[in-house]
Amino acid sequence: MRFAYFAAVGFLSALSLAFAAGILYGEGTDHWYLVGTMVGALLLAYSFIVLVLRKMGLVGPRKAER
Amino acid sequence: MSTATTDQATGRYARSMTALLRGTLRLDVWINRVYPTDFNPLYYTGGLSNLFLLTLVLSGIFLFFYYEASLGSAFASIQYLTERVPYGGVIRGVHRYAADGFIVGILLHLFRNWFTDRYLFARDNPWISGMFLLLFAGFVGVTGYQLVWDERAQLLTTLVVAMLYSIPAAGQGLVHLLLGGVGVSDTTLVRLLYLHIGPASALYVFLWWHYLRLRHPKIWPPGVWTLFCVGLVFLLAGVIPVTQDAIPPSAPAARPTQFPMDVFFMLPFWLMNILPAGGVVALLVLLFVGGLAIPYLSRRETPAQMEVRHAGVAQVVDGNCTGCELCYYDCPYNAIVMVPSPGPGLTKAAANRTLLAVVIESRCVECGICIGACPFEALELPKLMERDVLNQVNLAMQT
Repeated sequence: MRFAYFAAVGFLSALSLAFAAGILYGEGTDHWYLVGTMVGALLLAYSFIVLVLRKMGLVGPRKAER
Repeated sequence: MSTATTDQATGRYARSMTALLRGTLRLDVWINRVYPTDFNPLYYTGGLSNLFLLTLVLSGIFLFFYYEASLGSAFASIQYLTERVPYGGVIRGVHRYAADGFIVGILLHLFRNWFTDRYLFARDNPWISGMFLLLFAGFVGVTGYQLVWDERAQLLTTLVVAMLYSIPAAGQGLVHLLLGGVGVSDTTLVRLLYLHIGPASALYVFLWWHYLRLRHPKIWPPGVWTLFCVGLVFLLAGVIPVTQDAIPPSAPAARPTQFPMDVFFMLPFWLMNILPAGGVVALLVLLFVGGLAIPYLSRRETPAQMEVRHAGVAQVVDGNCTGCELCYYDCPYNAIVMVPSPGPGLTKAAANRTLLAVVIESRCVECGICIGACPFEALELPKLMERDVLNQVNLAMQT
């Protein structure tokens, strides 16, 4: 299961990188709606990364507080 | 006969509410299997609404810089903002979708608290303020659509005027107040702008009222949901631009008869297809007044029926209180205040106290949280003493 979480984080990070590249491309070519889409997709990918990290127990409340 | 009918109706209502409560809790359990409990979005519906409201305020400030409130320039200024200002169209989309998110968040919050009984007794205060938040949010949304001053705004204004005219006695005055004269003019747009920003600012006053009696309100969602919601509105703003409706600007000669719907804000106007303007106004007033009355009319069951012992208002055992403030911080209902101690307590721990806990009886809901918070046995529920609970536990252990 832990490997699946690591794989998910890796996949989402790669996806985030692609979205970041999309932001740069949109900014460079004045495609403002594309930039908006990419910013949104990047934030969504980040949210899923945080969720997976939380599932792995790497972020979130301390053990004593769970 | 009528008493029997009333009892039957009450019984049906109680049963349906209990079914809804069970359904809500089942949904909680199901979501908790997918998300960690501290990330369950249903626990943060209020915080999510707050997040959308902040997004609305920030994007609204940006839009305000470019908006010109006059008949001739309103649409042109928005068109300029959307097409020529870098990211103007995206920010406009964010404003629009965050408004939808705000209404969805409020409705989820409302239904969840209704179905889980979090509107009764001491919680009527957030319920009432919440109803005003919903009312003002809906009003601000409608004026937002009017500000664009396209054909949809023109038709919306006509419908709003028809609704206002249907109000007996006050209708004529309200129409004059909205339009700033006998017909639509530049003044109307200025008034609409103020009717958009003024009530939007008032939302924060209602929020202050909403939190007034809550000790630890969850006013912000966890980071994962902040990222998700802000990301979602940006994604929607980029993928489904607000300009896709392609509504032409308002013109005096135009006689628009239909417009693209936004179900979150324009449902009352859709209802005007099947009801007269006065009927829609009456329905909205009925819904609002009914909403305000819910905490007082729909007490589901008495504590006896719920098989919960009526424990009595919490009482401070003066001699044991050390003034440590733990109960003060833990009480979710602001029912405990700390006052300067008139003298030392009786126990060794309480000998040097400077403060004393006092329970405000009208605020106490007899939940017993303060009993658990106090390590010095300085609080008791008079009809559910700690020793009785311990005896019951011991008895249960023995059997």
